[in-house]
Amino acid sequence: MATNKEKKEAKMRKSRLFLAPAAMLAASALVLTGCAAEEEAATDTSTDSSSDSDSSADAGDDTLEVYALLPQGNDQPYGTTYLPPMQAKADELGINLTITNSEYDGDKQASECEVAVAAQPDGIILWPALADTIRPCLEAANNAGIPVWITNADVNPEDADLTYGYSGTDSYGQGAASAEMMCELADGAEIGVIQINGLSGNSVATLRGNGFAETIAAECPNVSILAEQPGDWNKDDSQIAASEMLTAVGIENVQGLYAADDTMVAGGIAALEARGENVEDYFITSIGNTFLGNPLVIDGKLDGTVFQSSSWDGENAVTGIYRAITGETSLGRDDDASVLYMPNPKVTIDNATDPEVAPEW
Amino acid sequence: MSKNEPITQINAMAQAPEEQPKQKSRRGVEWFAENGIFVFTAVLILSAAIFVDGFASLQNITDVFHRAAPIGIVAVGMTFVVISGNYLDLSVVAQVATAAVIMIAVSNEYGYFAAVLAAMLAALIYAIVNGVAVGYFKANAVIVTLSTTYVGLGLLRLLSGGSIFFGPPDGALAQFGAGKLGPVPYSALVLVAMTLILAFVLNRTNFGFTVRSFGINERATRLGGTNTGLVIIGAFLVTSLSAMIAGFVLAAFSNTAVSAMSTGYDFQALAAIIVGGTSVFGGKGSVLRTLLGVIFVSVLSNVLVLLNIGFGYQQMALGVLIALAVTVDALARRAGKK
Amino acid sequence: MTQQDTIQLGGGELSLWGKIKLTIARRTEGRGVALLAIILTVALLTEPLVFTAYQVTLGRIALIGLVALGLTAVILMGQLDLSVASTLAASGVVLAIIPDLTLGIIAALLTGLLVGAINAFGVAIIGINSFIWTLGMLFFLRGVALVISNEAPVKLTNADAGIAFGQPLIGPITPRILIFILVFIAIQVFVSRVKMGREFYAVGGNPQAAKDAGIPVKRRIFTGFMISGFVSALAGVINTLERTAADPIAGSTVLLASFAAAIIGGNYLKGGRGSIVGTLIGAGALGVLQVTLTLSGVQVPVQQIFIGLVLLLAVTTDPNNLRAVLSSIRSARSSRVKVQKPASEPNKSTAS
Repeated sequence: MATNKEKKEAKMRKSRLFLAPAAMLAASALVLTGCAAEEEAATDTSTDSSSDSDSSADAGDDTLEVYALLPQGNDQPYGTTYLPPMQAKADELGINLTITNSEYDGDKQASECEVAVAAQPDGIILWPALADTIRPCLEAANNAGIPVWITNADVNPEDADLTYGYSGTDSYGQGAASAEMMCELADGAEIGVIQINGLSGNSVATLRGNGFAETIAAECPNVSILAEQPGDWNKDDSQIAASEMLTAVGIENVQGLYAADDTMVAGGIAALEARGENVEDYFITSIGNTFLGNPLVIDGKLDGTVFQSSSWDGENAVTGIYRAITGETSLGRDDDASVLYMPNPKVTIDNATDPEVAPEW
Repeated sequence: MSKNEPITQINAMAQAPEEQPKQKSRRGVEWFAENGIFVFTAVLILSAAIFVDGFASLQNITDVFHRAAPIGIVAVGMTFVVISGNYLDLSVVAQVATAAVIMIAVSNEYGYFAAVLAAMLAALIYAIVNGVAVGYFKANAVIVTLSTTYVGLGLLRLLSGGSIFFGPPDGALAQFGAGKLGPVPYSALVLVAMTLILAFVLNRTNFGFTVRSFGINERATRLGGTNTGLVIIGAFLVTSLSAMIAGFVLAAFSNTAVSAMSTGYDFQALAAIIVGGTSVFGGKGSVLRTLLGVIFVSVLSNVLVLLNIGFGYQQMALGVLIALAVTVDALARRAGKK
Repeated sequence: MTQQDTIQLGGGELSLWGKIKLTIARRTEGRGVALLAIILTVALLTEPLVFTAYQVTLGRIALIGLVALGLTAVILMGQLDLSVASTLAASGVVLAIIPDLTLGIIAALLTGLLVGAINAFGVAIIGINSFIWTLGMLFFLRGVALVISNEAPVKLTNADAGIAFGQPLIGPITPRILIFILVFIAIQVFVSRVKMGREFYAVGGNPQAAKDAGIPVKRRIFTGFMISGFVSALAGVINTLERTAADPIAGSTVLLASFAAAIIGGNYLKGGRGSIVGTLIGAGALGVLQVTLTLSGVQVPVQQIFIGLVLLLAVTTDPNNLRAVLSSIRSARSSRVKVQKPASEPNKSTAS
């Protein structure tokens, strides 16, 4: 689209220094108008936000400025359904959100944290891209007197004192819950299972994988994990990895399958079906209860999954930071109000159609 | 051009007695530089079949093909951009995801025909933007395709809302994705068909000739009166259409689509092209080689998973493999020159 | 080609306009400067915080730019180094798994030098295209980082030292920014004032001529790749210290951002033309743009689209690009009849 303009302007080659700026300004103007239209009215305030007063705004201020440092957003199904309830809750409480997405790059999130601290908002919502790396960010926010509320994935215990609270789930616990279901299904019998993990190196993937494996080892050593491979959170990668693991360990030795989320378990189930296996003969557990996983539970293919509600997560992140800003909770999580655990009900065929576990993402 | 050569040459090598050792070895080395990938692939497959339990099972052959198909279709198409001397097309990541999301999201509402049309339109836009910027503006292909990746993924996420899309479980697309001819999934047949068509285009058409000569010597080709800009657009169009078909195949296989599904396809496809022996200098290379590179990499990944070797080691192996492939090529070439 | 890049800004009293024109014509940073100017203007008008909290902006520039500086040394010689991001990740993990901090830092930096030497070995001794060889290293080192970290983030044994490292040193300036500035000065002086560094341009411009002129091309390639490896490892060390943990899949955004910074800064990927100053300007433009967009609170996909468009405009609006368009159009018009001659030898290389 820029070519026509440039063809014309290219004649004035000597004024090259003006050409690039002109084109660039035109484009930026275009895009910025586009953004303005795209964004709901909520974000307009960023220019006139009162950064002159150092201390956090009192209740007298109309809107509260909050930075939400997230590692995903519209690039993942979960983040996609996390954002709207978050925004809705923020509108309700008169909070203006500035949202970032570090795409699970810890260095990028750290830099975004520096920007957020410099902007002196009333509060920061932090979803750690990498729990091990966020202490410096917490200290910086603390020194600047900005309350931090953690969402979705909690910080390490030794860092909890630097936060005002946490809302969300427990990735390790989810893996453990999935393992408990597997133990129940096995009911003491000696069985072999294969394990499909999330993306290698990703902290949620690591936590869920450890939660599953360690709980299995502790509670039902009769279940042995025969092989594990990453499925990269994708159905297609997971299906291939599952099928190859079945070949590797011999399908006759496998009675069960665990995947770190419903998308990947769908791949594992597809791998079994592609071999003409009767999926109902296998013990299969997972985490999520998503639009993809819930119907599998109802069909009796997926024996158990752990519900994770993205809307609860997004909403309570805002509720939490509001509590922190209004003084309902304080630094160090000493109050009852400072921890909001997401109910993580186990979903099986018995309760899969209950409205309280209706899938969200 | 040399589609049938390797087989006859393998036979010739096997039968020829050890005469004139010196000359023989030099010719052997030259031959090896050209055809090493054929030997490597054969050796890998044979030894896997002998030593790795389950490798030769029909199911596993299907799995290898499933591994190879989407990335392979991207790679055979991207070979055109590489041969034309423009490094790679990073935006295949965005293009595959766009095609997959369009295929499922649009077909759910308006049917397959509309979905294919919409995806083709998207592929065309990618090809034109990439091609015009690289071909006419002579802008750097790495940065051009990096920027179209940003814009493309951003648009996709904005328009699709980032959601995951599902096709109907027994729709035509899902049936195609699960369909097999013997142990060979339909997606692999698509890969083979694409390879044959693109090999024909590259070797037997004026366009293919120009792409190759452009890679060898851009200026000479331009002075020869060729509109190089159009040729570059053409090379990007081949890549875009291939990425689109890869997106369809991926969507059919998983019957789901999400904007993050093709992460890493850019360098994975490039790795396969290189292992196959296509030169990033441009000019040299063939689609058939890329197919072999894809098969080699897929078999290797498959074998490592069968041996339950961790993902980290798999990445290391891929790195070593690339280094080995190009080192053998370079050493053999050098020995051949002496 | 070699000398033109060493001209310094400022000094001399020719007619001002003539001098500006001359400088602009000779230097390669034109589009970087233009882009930076626009971004700075827009940032000033919309998000003044970019300037008042300059240490944050500088930190972001240092994050993007440090790796790009090392990469530029390689690009000047017409080579590429795709392994920078994996080097960053692997050296960070090396640092974190060694309990003793000093030892860890040394080992991490040595890792970088070793990677550089291996890269150079493949390119200079075996004679392989650097794009391919370093692609192999990209995968290999990513695997190494995953294997030695056991596929999970590794916490620094001495996390307090890491936190101390992240604190401002002089005013609001953190060690990261300081190191970035020092590396910039070092490489800039090296390629513009030191004979060995100036030979990089000759090697990139025409390797054969450089060889004939007695420049030890292979040794220069070793020097360049080891600079790049070292600087990437240094970035890995800084990141790991500041974050108090190493991430085996770190640097996912580093590779392409550093390429973008170098190219926006006017470095010619085929070598021989460009400058470290240009890379600094490119990193500055990208860094300020990113911080401004973050502060603006615009939806993330829209930010992506915006960054993509800016990059695309930046690489297509260079005077050279516009000249190329014009000549393409002209030649297309004049030769429409004989488009795509399949016949052999399309060589009529008489005109320049």
